[in-house]
Amino acid sequence: MTSSPDNPISREVLRRRIFLGLFAALAVALHTMEALLPSPAPWFRLGFANIFTLTALFLFGARAAWSVALTRIGVGSLFLGTLFAPGFFLSLAGGVLATLLMVVAKDLCGRKIGPVGVSAIGAAGHATGQMIVAWWLLVQHAGVWLLYPYFLLFALATGVVNGLVADYLLEILKGHPAFKEDRQGNPSSDLV
Amino acid sequence: MMIRDLLGRTTILDRAIVLVLAAAAVSLVFFQAGRPPGEKVIVERDGRVVFTAPLAVDRTVRLDGPLGPTTLKIHDGKACVTDSPCPLKICMGMGEVARSGDLVACVPNHLLIRVSGGREKDKEYDLLSR
Repeated sequence: MTSSPDNPISREVLRRRIFLGLFAALAVALHTMEALLPSPAPWFRLGFANIFTLTALFLFGARAAWSVALTRIGVGSLFLGTLFAPGFFLSLAGGVLATLLMVVAKDLCGRKIGPVGVSAIGAAGHATGQMIVAWWLLVQHAGVWLLYPYFLLFALATGVVNGLVADYLLEILKGHPAFKEDRQGNPSSDLV
Repeated sequence: MMIRDLLGRTTILDRAIVLVLAAAAVSLVFFQAGRPPGEKVIVERDGRVVFTAPLAVDRTVRLDGPLGPTTLKIHDGKACVTDSPCPLKICMGMGEVARSGDLVACVPNHLLIRVSGGREKDKEYDLLSR
């Protein structure tokens, strides 16, 4: 009645849920592991977790990207014990602005933009969102913007790398039987 | 070969976006490097000015914060934090500051060390709109 394997629509929904769950779980894992890496400043992050937000955006659209990004920030902070600490708000602001810009960019440019461009925009958005909150809540001095260009350059470099990784991941996923079937539009019964 | 493969994964719009953002960031870096040298060091604790000194005079001072004393050294027209009780020592890692508008913040110890130009109105500028 609920998720009969013969019903292609519910199977589609189920598959989407499974993949989103996997993306969110992997994003949380990367988010948590990244915090273990040594870094010059506490909020200087590589943003590898964004790979899964990107992948979700390209595979399933804006809503999926939002769920992966917000789950990653919430659950990741819970694991790190930084939930509602100052760093959490930086992370949240960066994540929200990044996801917003990525969704808008993808929506506006459609097929003309690839994962690398979306990722670069997202990385710049992440750096900007963090700076705004750092300025607003933590430092409250315009001098904090002196760090902004360096943050932006660093974010851009990691953004391009993440975009390329997401592109590889998308290529592999699209070669997977579960997604081939979607494109042809005739589901075969041996796949869940 | 490797680079060609990577480039093949980007669209023209992707490359344009990356180039525009990189150009913006690099020009911001140059924009900031051209600021004039500052004249004095101002230390604030929780928004109140607790210490002021000219950059031209070499000296070392102890600044008290909630965690304990932070040591600020002024030497050769530059200021830097040489010792701090905070856990991550980011303020020490921020190095020397000399230009007007430069900033060293020690968030755990509630200290904000900034360099100001001689003219009083200097500090009212938003650094990005200058």
